[in-house]
Amino acid sequence: MKKKIYIYALLLAAFAASAFIQGCSSAKETLANKSGAQLWSENCIRCHNGPSPTEFTDVQWKTIGMHMQIRANLTSTEAKKIVEFLQSAN
Amino acid sequence: MKIKFILTAILIMNLVIARAQDSLQKQIDVLKEEVKSLKSDENSHFMVRGFAQFGMDATSSAMNFNMTSFNPVLLWRQGSNFLFESELEMEYMNNEFSLDIGYANATYLVTKGLSVKVGKILIPFGTFSERLHPSWVNKLSTAPLGMGHMDGMSPMADIGIDIRGGLQIGLSKLNYSFYVVNGPRLDDGIASPTDAGKLTFENNNDNNNNKAIGSRIGFLPFTNSSLEIGVSAYYAKPGSETSPFAGDTMNQNLNYKNVTAMLTAFDLTYVKQLSPISGVIDIRGQYNLSNVSNATYYSSIDSMQYTFTNKSSAYYVQFSYRPSMVDNDILRNFELVTRYSAYTTPKYSLWYSDQTQMEIGLNYWIGWRSVIKFSYQYTDGTIAGTGTSGMAGMPGMSNGRLAHATTPTTTTTSTSSSEMGTSNGYMFLLHLAIGL
Repeated sequence: MKKKIYIYALLLAAFAASAFIQGCSSAKETLANKSGAQLWSENCIRCHNGPSPTEFTDVQWKTIGMHMQIRANLTSTEAKKIVEFLQSAN
Repeated sequence: MKIKFILTAILIMNLVIARAQDSLQKQIDVLKEEVKSLKSDENSHFMVRGFAQFGMDATSSAMNFNMTSFNPVLLWRQGSNFLFESELEMEYMNNEFSLDIGYANATYLVTKGLSVKVGKILIPFGTFSERLHPSWVNKLSTAPLGMGHMDGMSPMADIGIDIRGGLQIGLSKLNYSFYVVNGPRLDDGIASPTDAGKLTFENNNDNNNNKAIGSRIGFLPFTNSSLEIGVSAYYAKPGSETSPFAGDTMNQNLNYKNVTAMLTAFDLTYVKQLSPISGVIDIRGQYNLSNVSNATYYSSIDSMQYTFTNKSSAYYVQFSYRPSMVDNDILRNFELVTRYSAYTTPKYSLWYSDQTQMEIGLNYWIGWRSVIKFSYQYTDGTIAGTGTSGMAGMPGMSNGRLAHATTPTTTTTSTSSSEMGTSNGYMFLLHLAIGL
């Protein structure tokens, strides 16, 4: 049992270290200077594949953007930038 | 005379042309306005999205077409601050058709980091029920053990108020949700003795004067949003105000008014596109704990009163990899998924189960929201009162929608807990899920 816990703890530590390194590599990029495209690629895939901008019209993107802002608890800046990117690429 | 006639003609022609131009300009202006209003439509917009699924499962004894459902999602935006959303659930599964509302609520964005939602809401208890339940989002065909809405383990949807939002804190992000809902009911075992002590969620009417309160806090430490760690808590008094045995001289001492239920969940999500492995890795998990205070129940099966420590737990860990960055058009649409889940209910209850499940799957994405899933699932462990390996009432099959599946877990049903447990053994599943 102790061995199992040790293995799990080791795996968790390895994962945390890896995640930390990945996170630090982009720590200089604050939300303020991130583009809508970057936010789109980072946030949508947290639950599902990233959609293509051409999937919906500008008006539809606005509605979907609001829906996802509420569902995924995105910040308003993130939601705004993502919607603007999807609309501009349309 | 001739010159005078020519000049008059030119003048008349100019007047006619000017008039025509004016009329044409007016028409152009009207058309421009119409196009502009159609293009922007800032004030109001209605759209229908959703998802549908179809699939089959096979065991050593049976092969079934199953998991047929259609879930239209209605979205109505009014201006930039108001959204109404609703999911209808139309499903045919295990010879039963059901029609229900998964959620139906209105949200008002009050400020940048705060919104208020009222109506039937998805409960942010962990992440599975709120974010991953649509069949095209869930990477496997089934819900993890203990995470399905029939398990009596965690709340999935309820009627109430939810205050939520997302905030930037330095380089990190924080999201929160605080909600008040009708809450669960404690099954008193009168209708179904084998369910005594179980919590039932998604009740349209409350059975007492109190409300359930809950919260989830999610923390994203990295600016690339790759990691999210969440903690959820949910507190309720699920018993009715009066004894359900009133008038029964033998059991009228049984009263559940002061029974409390404390549920907690921990969730972790790590999703990152990594160039060295030419794809996206997705690691996620959730650990649910349910602690209902002790109470005495009556079993009409053996005419005895009994009690037990009412604690349950469930967890799952899932890993997936999709080589989305490779050049090969076919290869990059494949995705490998594996998941391990476990579910333990109170040992001395009549709905005791202690099961584990391993599932491995291969998905092929035919579009960004349409997927063909093929998986192998093996379930093992103990289910109280079972002597069969029938597949009816599998909670895992109910992930396509949130409300009632094959057999509702309400107090009005006579379905026994043994029928609601996931049967042991192996199963192959083939599943088509389409986001609309």
